[in-house]
Formats: sequence, structure tokens, C-alpha cells
Amino acid sequence: MIWNREIECMPREKMRVLQGEKLKRIVAHAYNNSLFYRRKFDEYGIRPEDISSIDDIVKLPFTVKHDLRDNYPFGMMAVPMSDIIRIHASSGTTGKPIVVGYTEKDLENWSEAVARCLTSFGLDSSDLIQIAYGYGLFTGGLGLHYGVQRIGATVIPAGTGNTVKQLQMMSDFSTSALACTPSYAMYMAEKMNKYDIPVDSLSLRIGIFGAEPWTENMRREIQDKLHIKAYDIYGLTEISGPGVGGECECQNGIHISEDLFYPEIVDPVTLESVGPGQRGELVFTTLDKWGMPMIRYRTRDLTTLNYETCECGRTTVRMGKILGRSDDMLIVRGVNVFPSQVESILLEFPEYEPYFLIEVDRINNTDTFQIQVEVKPEFYTDKINQLVRIKERLTSRIQNVIGIQPEIKIVQPNTIERSTGKSKRAIDHRKFE
Amino acid sequence: MLIRQISVFLENRNGQFAGIARLLGENNINLRCFTVSESNDFGLARILVDNDDIDRTYNLLKSKSYGVSINNVVYLESGNVPGSMVKAMDKLSEAGIAIEYMYAYAESESSISHIIIRAADNEELADQLISGI
Repeated sequence: MIWNREIECMPREKMRVLQGEKLKRIVAHAYNNSLFYRRKFDEYGIRPEDISSIDDIVKLPFTVKHDLRDNYPFGMMAVPMSDIIRIHASSGTTGKPIVVGYTEKDLENWSEAVARCLTSFGLDSSDLIQIAYGYGLFTGGLGLHYGVQRIGATVIPAGTGNTVKQLQMMSDFSTSALACTPSYAMYMAEKMNKYDIPVDSLSLRIGIFGAEPWTENMRREIQDKLHIKAYDIYGLTEISGPGVGGECECQNGIHISEDLFYPEIVDPVTLESVGPGQRGELVFTTLDKWGMPMIRYRTRDLTTLNYETCECGRTTVRMGKILGRSDDMLIVRGVNVFPSQVESILLEFPEYEPYFLIEVDRINNTDTFQIQVEVKPEFYTDKINQLVRIKERLTSRIQNVIGIQPEIKIVQPNTIERSTGKSKRAIDHRKFE
Repeated sequence: MLIRQISVFLENRNGQFAGIARLLGENNINLRCFTVSESNDFGLARILVDNDDIDRTYNLLKSKSYGVSINNVVYLESGNVPGSMVKAMDKLSEAGIAIEYMYAYAESESSISHIIIRAADNEELADQLISGI
């Protein structure tokens, strides 16, 4: 099922025209009503009249997370506070939280975006959806909540925590879909096992998972354990919240509601647009968000965009998996190094485990670039030359891809820290004074 | 005769080999012979232990997260007779079998040297050729 066929299956050229019109409107609104954007555009010598189509978006300056912090709490609003009917905030791991505000229309648009996602997961008004995201300043709970109401399904506003009670509700209410973080879904599956609750005694069929990155392996595990289809829903507070994009039944990329949230991919260093399908930093412009418009907001998420029409019939652009964060980037001997590049190279080699640790230092004014890797146990041999060759092949592959020669250090099995979360993948020992 | 040899990957840091020797000692495994070779930044210890201890040694090292492998090598006993090594080498080179590495050890109460040969490939053929000597 498709919630908004007109938009979601719109021919691409028509979509670009629509996006261009919306961009003109929102840029004029931002310039005329937000001191922040007016100053910024003036500084870059940009006037709203310079924008006549979506292609002109590249003329606009970027917005970064710092801007939101510097203008805490309400400095980025582009409407009077009397028109703001809700705020949300994201704690952020460092420093002040960031605050976002929504007008009535903004909330409507956000709910529309979530409704599209839910429909593409196969949900409709007959479903009972248990929302186990946090309610409150976090966008997860209320964002999903309003989307579920929009499609006319039943909200079970469970909130977070109290897993036993969650399972009880799921069983008593015949919950058909669960919305939570993928790691909480794994935890629930474990608890079900512990309390001997047979999966098939539940009516669960769909999982709405987001708010943290997860792998295909995790998806398989969750699907197997909970006997559901597990879908990824993507979003970020700065752009609205969950529902900026979501997967369809093909589970092959996240469809972005690009009439509302226009995505670009740029090189994180030069900030130039990259070609279609190429990896870079994801940048969003909110085309229809009035309370706090975001113009070319740098997400720091590294990914790719795919503009081909999906098998599901939707023409909306699909975003790939998040491949890392551009702020993980290291500059070594003047070259940009992303830990995610090393990871994807290691995955090409059957001989290596996918774990690694990059260590960078500066010795005698030269950067050192060491990568610790593990050879898989079955590839150990008595032939030292064979190990040397395995090492040399990796060295030259990394040199070709990244552009500088690494010092590969093979360490014993199980030496490198395994962690599914934000494991430390690079250590920079250099001191810049 | 083909015998089984254990190889252990050694990171280039202090006390690596000592760690292995201690582990085997604590588990009553007698290191009959070993050799260590190194590349730029890592080494490889090749170890011979008593037949009955081979699997135990391998599993023990593996359980302690060592990079370990097991393979066949050609074992040759050579009396202290001049020229006996040459014969063996000639046989192999005539058959076009390259030698990856070799090492030898002797026991003090015996006049026999024990020679270990690792053919680059075709270990069985190498063994057949040499055992006829």
C-alpha cells in the first residue's frame, strides 16, 4: 500500500519542479523571518531571488549543529513563539541540548511523513501499534504517535521500560506492530525466551525500528526471533524526527519524503556535491517546515542516495545504510581517512575479521598510520610468506583506496575490542598545539 | 615419514614466545623442538611436541587466542654419514619440489640428526622420495 501515491510515485522531473517551488518559498521565509538565516545569507551574498529551481540549492550556505547550540533555545525560530505549538529537544552527548520548534503545519507534515512510512511497512487502520519509544522531549514517542493516529491505527502509548509489562500488553492487546529501538527489540526477544512466552502466542507481525544504526545481521536475528518483518525508520530531531524516511516492503533502502526533506550528498571536505550513487555526507533541507526551517543541514551521516525507481513503485529517492559519521574522519598526511572505508575494505578480504583499530601519531613531523587487524583463525599457516602476502595485499588495497600507505599490524585473534555500539575504531595520538 | 607440526603466530612484542613456553610447561607439554622465524613485524614459532600431545597443544593454544595452525612436514633421520643430506636434496630438486623451509635438531645421547623439511607443495611425494634413502 502507498499512503500518498501522488507524491511517492511522482515522476522525478515533476518532483524536482515541486521541490524547486517549495525551496523558493522556504528560503524567502527563512530570509525574511529568521535573523540567523538573514545574517548568514547576507554574509554569503545570497538573496532569495537567486533561487529559481532546486538546482540553485548549491548556492546556499550550510547549517551545522553548532548553529543550533549557539542559538539555544529559540534563536533559530522563524515564526513568533505564539505560532510554535510544540518543542522537542535532543540531549546530545556533549554540551547544551538542541531545541526544535514546530508550527501546526509542521506537525501535520511530520505526521504525513510518518504515515507514509507506516503504510510502506504494511500497516493500516486495523493495526494496533505499541510505541515503546520514549515520550517527552525525545521525538521518537510523539512522532510515531501522531503518525499512527494519522493512518487511523490504534496507538498503544507504552513508552519505554518495564519490559514485563510491555510483553503483557503485547499479549493482552494483540499488538500487531512494535515501535522501538532495534536493540530494545532484541532485549524483548530475550525476555520472552526467559519467561517462556511463545512468540506465536503474540499477534506481532511488524517492527518499526530506528533511532540507532543497526546491521542486516541484527535485522535477520530480530526477524527470526520475533517472527516479524523488521523495518528501518530514519529521522533526526533537527529535521523533524522519525519518519524523514523509511523502508518499503523491498527492504532495500530508505525512501525519503523528499517533497518535505530534500536530501543531498556532499563531499565532507570540499562540500561539493558528489555524483549520483557516490558516498558522502547527507545534507537535508526542510522544504516545508516553517517554525524552524533547516537549510542545507549537515547531518554528519555518511551514506549514498539511489534515484532509481524502486520495485515497490515509489519514485522517491532511497538512502543507503549509514556508513559512518563524517566527524569520525581523520586527516592523515593531508588525506581524509574514514574508519568506515577501512571497514569496507576489510570486508572484501575473506582472510580478515571485520574488526580493526586505527592508530595515528606524529613522529618526527610525519604522521604514522597504523591499522591493527586480525587474521581469521582458519587462515593461519606455517608459511610466513603467505602471511606476509596477505598483509601486503591489504596494504596495497588500502593505499589504492584511501591514498596513503598504512602500516598493517596483524594482532592475535580476539585482541581487538568487539562492540556493536560506538566502539572506538580510531585513536589519534597527535598533539596539535 | 610425515609428522604434524604446530605453528603459532607471534606478535612483535616482548615475552610472546615466553608466554607460549610457559603455557605448554604449565600443562606438562614437552617442547621437543622449535624454531622461530620472523618477518618485519611478526614472527612464527614452529613447534614439535610428542605425538600424544599434538591435538591437546593445538586446542590449548587456540583456546588462549593464539593464531595457530597444524600441518604435515617431512621428517628424516640422518646418520652422521657425510653426504646423506645431499641425496635427499637431490631427490627433491630432480622431482621439481621446492623447499619452503627446513630445520634440524639432534639429541645429545644419539648420533642421529633429525631433519624437518617443509616442501612448498606435494608433501606426500616429497616424503616418498626421501623415505627411500
